Amino acid sequence: MSDFRITPQITLKTALQGCTRLVSRTITLEALPEGHVLHVLGKPGEPLSMARLEGLSDGTPHAVRAAGPGQWFIVGDRAKTHSELADLFAAIQPEAFGVDQSAGRIRIRASGPMVERMLAKGTAADLSLSHFPIGYATTTLIGHIGAHVTRVGADAFEIMVLRGFAQSLWDDLARMSGEFFED
Amino acid sequence: MASLVPCPHCGARPKEEFTIRGAALARPLANADPAAWMDFVYLRDNPRGRYEEHWHHTAGCRRWLVVTRDTTSHEIAASRDAALDTTGAPHP
Amino acid sequence: MTPYRLPAGGLIDRRSPLAITFDGKPLTGFAGDSLASALLANGRLLVGRSFKYHRPRGILTAGAAEPNALMTIGEGGRTEANSRATMQELYAGLEARSQSRWPSLAFDIGALNGLLSPFLGAGFYYKTFMWPAPLWEKLYEPFIRKAAGLGTASDVADPDVYEKCWAHCDLLVIGAGPAGLAAALTAGRAGARVILVDEHAAAGGTLLSETARIGGRSAPDAVAQTMAELDALANVTILLRTTAFGWYDGNVFGAVERVQKHVRLPAAARPVERLWRIVAKKALLATGAEERPLVFGGNDIPGVMMAGAMRTYLNRYGVAPGRQVAIFTTNDSGYALAADLEAHGLTPVAIIDSREDAAPPYTGKARIVTGAVVSDAQGGKALSSITVLRNGQAETVKVDALAMAGGFSPIIHLACHRGGKPQWSDMQSAFLAPGDLVGLDLAGAVATTAGIAACLDEGARKAAALLDEMSINATPASFGAVEGDIVSAPARPLWTVPGVKGKAFVDFQNDVHRGDLDLAVQEGYGHVELAKRYTTNGMATDQGKLSNVNAIGLLAEARGLSPADVGTTTFRPFYTPVSFGALAGAHHGRDFQPVRRSPLHDWARRLGATFVETGLWYRSSFFPRAGETTWRESVDREVLNVRAHAGLCDVSMLGKIEICGRDAAEFLNRVYSNAFLKLPVGKARYGLMLREDGMIYDDGTTSRLSENHYVMTTTTAYAAGVMNHLEFCAQVLWPGLDVRLASSTDQWAQMAIAGPKARLILQAIVDEDLSNDAFPFLAAREVSLFGGALHGRLFRISFSGELAYELAVPAGYGESVAEVLMEAGAPHGIQPYGVEALGVLRIEKGHVTHNEINGTVTAADLGFGKMVSATKPDFIGKAMVGRPGLVDPERAQLVGVLPLDPKTSFRTGSHILARDAAATLENDQGYVTSSAYSPHVGSTIGLALVTRGAERHGEAVMIWNGIRNEFTPGRLCDPVFLDPGHEKLHV
Repeated sequence: MSDFRITPQITLKTALQGCTRLVSRTITLEALPEGHVLHVLGKPGEPLSMARLEGLSDGTPHAVRAAGPGQWFIVGDRAKTHSELADLFAAIQPEAFGVDQSAGRIRIRASGPMVERMLAKGTAADLSLSHFPIGYATTTLIGHIGAHVTRVGADAFEIMVLRGFAQSLWDDLARMSGEFFED
Repeated sequence: MASLVPCPHCGARPKEEFTIRGAALARPLANADPAAWMDFVYLRDNPRGRYEEHWHHTAGCRRWLVVTRDTTSHEIAASRDAALDTTGAPHP
Repeated sequence: MTPYRLPAGGLIDRRSPLAITFDGKPLTGFAGDSLASALLANGRLLVGRSFKYHRPRGILTAGAAEPNALMTIGEGGRTEANSRATMQELYAGLEARSQSRWPSLAFDIGALNGLLSPFLGAGFYYKTFMWPAPLWEKLYEPFIRKAAGLGTASDVADPDVYEKCWAHCDLLVIGAGPAGLAAALTAGRAGARVILVDEHAAAGGTLLSETARIGGRSAPDAVAQTMAELDALANVTILLRTTAFGWYDGNVFGAVERVQKHVRLPAAARPVERLWRIVAKKALLATGAEERPLVFGGNDIPGVMMAGAMRTYLNRYGVAPGRQVAIFTTNDSGYALAADLEAHGLTPVAIIDSREDAAPPYTGKARIVTGAVVSDAQGGKALSSITVLRNGQAETVKVDALAMAGGFSPIIHLACHRGGKPQWSDMQSAFLAPGDLVGLDLAGAVATTAGIAACLDEGARKAAALLDEMSINATPASFGAVEGDIVSAPARPLWTVPGVKGKAFVDFQNDVHRGDLDLAVQEGYGHVELAKRYTTNGMATDQGKLSNVNAIGLLAEARGLSPADVGTTTFRPFYTPVSFGALAGAHHGRDFQPVRRSPLHDWARRLGATFVETGLWYRSSFFPRAGETTWRESVDREVLNVRAHAGLCDVSMLGKIEICGRDAAEFLNRVYSNAFLKLPVGKARYGLMLREDGMIYDDGTTSRLSENHYVMTTTTAYAAGVMNHLEFCAQVLWPGLDVRLASSTDQWAQMAIAGPKARLILQAIVDEDLSNDAFPFLAAREVSLFGGALHGRLFRISFSGELAYELAVPAGYGESVAEVLMEAGAPHGIQPYGVEALGVLRIEKGHVTHNEINGTVTAADLGFGKMVSATKPDFIGKAMVGRPGLVDPERAQLVGVLPLDPKTSFRTGSHILARDAAATLENDQGYVTSSAYSPHVGSTIGLALVTRGAERHGEAVMIWNGIRNEFTPGRLCDPVFLDPGHEKLHV
């Protein structure tokens, strides 16, 4: 062991640092806290019970989101400690494996009465409430960027994107919202 | 302009979300005849009409699909998860 | 009041005058005018010059098919050439300029081309200017380009924004005329998701030009009432100023909305145009029909106009087409115009009806000449008279306007966009939509339904039927009785007008006249596809909307066939021109593609990194310091510093894939060519992935973090491809294996810490013992940092050949950790290094990248023959890797290459020749795949793929760059230029 030890101030830098909340009468964009994103890898065809998945979440609505057959994201605003993560991942084995994506996926909340029209500039998924009900989640392209989209309210979506693309997606969403910031 | 591919998991999505691999051929056994491997790796029928192809929903659910596509009209008659057989049961 | 504006009537707002300019001259119109109606109202009959002969041209139509009245609108970057005046809404301050004229519209030198016309006929390109060949480029083409052509595009960047969006609906209704409105109302009331699009600013279609009354209301009032109801329905989206331009796979319709093309200064926050991709469960085409011109001499003189267009100018815009109007008709529709003219006190001078047996429902005062034609029109810049021919007797009639009513062609374009062929109907004298449409039906005039009542009824019924297929109950909307409905029987076509003396135009925009088509037939180009290209008929920006059917009819008559036998050319999108701006949407300039930023991006930026684009990633290329004047100086310093002390390089963009599951080991054993079953927990292994053809696909390391959890690294370039490939293997090839995959590339900030001081520096933050015994070469483990404050992954792997590690920490902490490492490493001489130095370090060690793994090399070619397992029962590539061609001893193999004289250099891509061989490709023995200046060796070094290279170390060769004619005498050598025993890795 080295006798030269550093006990520094290590600090977190958020991916969307400096992106202020954008608010208009009809659209609000906000970067959500970099809390936790757990990627649950089940086995396709052997679904895990929703109750079990929700048991891993912090209990907030829509914390568990489908991410393709046999896979889910469990998200929340509070960061999990290393040992909390280890315990959670141990709890779902052997049926599923957990991968920590808390830093790799960035969440943006888009809401307001014009939110469907704004997102339709990016995605071909049918966003109408009847086709995309509250709680439904899917992965799709928003413009050129892949994103995981969850409806969390009648007029609210959460968009999760790879960290490296977060700034570009934020810029895109801001541009797509531009006409709703006119007044 | 636009072209939709039906994904059994996500619904119809534009082709930009997908990666096409080509004919959905069965991989020969490792010890199969060299001729079978030549066929698999290099030779394609390029038929006119319905054709089974592997498509990957890359920007979606990331599942590989078997898409039955008409090579003249691009009409897609069926699409299923490649890990499932035509009856919907998992492959052994 | 302007000379042609009627004192009353029309749907214009006479209290809102709008000032515009045309060719710099001020004019006034009203809100609700089109540019065309405003020009007509001001008596501006001459609005353009024709493409080839520079003939004076006037306004021919009132809609999308306009071939003549093409204007340049706007200034600077907003310049829009070839805008149809008939489609341009009037706004205050609109500036329109005519095109194809010089020096002015009224006096145009190019009109001399009319005198040259014997030389400018069909095929003139291929005949007149064939010889002498050198003159083509120097003289003929520049001359033709200057003389012909339409508007000129601006080379100033467009300042406006465009966007694209998607929409979904149960029923898309294309066209808001009677059939479309009835359909939209029926579906809207039923609660279906409806999108109604119409290319005009106001809904209503022909109803806005009609005098009939619907349910006791005027036709425009009936439209307004219907639109108000539709507007109030939340399930109905109305898109006006929106042209549906194409029908695509999956029942997707393309449409372009002109959001702000009717304002002088567009609001910056909104797009000027929006491209819609509309996914429709069902669609109803209610696009109406196009009236056909008649092909007589001088039919292009300003003052000659379509009969339906005249009705529109009269009834909708309150503009008289002239004072002495004649009507040339082949069917009853011409008489509706006669009645409208009379209602405005403009009794037609004559109605010339080509039918001998005409029995029109007409009670007006105009003189009717049946069994007659207009064989010629006379006039220069304005129509002055026409020649009426009856039973061989010619009569000259003084007129200032002439209407043409040649029958109707259904606007079936969209119905033919997916490959269906139009069908000729003798009964309807028209091409009809293909019969076997799926997801699309037609209603109204596009389906040859005649009369307002019938169109309303059909639209409503067809909508209800389409909804019924989707199990939505709908009651067809009814609109009450229609009074004054005009139902004209189909016209008997009149293709060849007898007795023509002057030029009889078929394609007005491309200046193709009847003689051109005759010539095409005479010279053997009578097939419809050949005639099109020989004469250019239908190839202008209007795509032959007015001309194609007439051309087919004329070709048919000239060849003694039916139009059914001649057939049509292929209908393709776009129905009308779509701007590049709309097609590109927001994705241009800075937004052309997204940027992928490393979590260490800002850290590198603060240290002055120069960035290079690698795919979508921005990678730090090198870190110049004060006093360094070339990039080479910086790179040499970074390389030497790594070898002497330590360096830190951002490798976050390497692909990282989590591989979990009970069968993960077996899975890896099958995707890699080398053995993976026995990789111990806590260790990394270099792996080689082959393609099924036996060539190398990608390389990287895979580490076993726990019994059933591995993490694979891929090259940056192949990260996405490898993930797709692994998913293919897991899902398609071996779905029975328990293996689950997740990309974790973005989760980690990963840095390479390389150099003799690397351990010392890392130990300052890593809690675990990093001594060589405790953490040997290829150790790979999760580690605790800063006394447990943070956890990361540490891999003892090396691309540089030095003692090296890669440390991964959660991305948000990347910058902070990198800063701490730089601080801890400062006393030990740590410096950041970029991908340029990384490249030099790896070439010095003979490590390969995709420069070498180029899809044509085998593992053995690169000296990795032992990494291809001979014992594994199966892995990707196993079956073909032993093919004779892949084990041929003559194959190119990886080798190092050095210049004999260290002061000389060579470039990547140069060929390797035997020392004394002639410099021809016949003697080519391979090529340099990578090269760099090595500060360690003191010269340029290279890696090359050279035939039998592995056994030729030491051999003198010639390094030849044929493109630059450079010859560098060189020597083949071991590709490992430094530490050949790889001892540094294990210290």
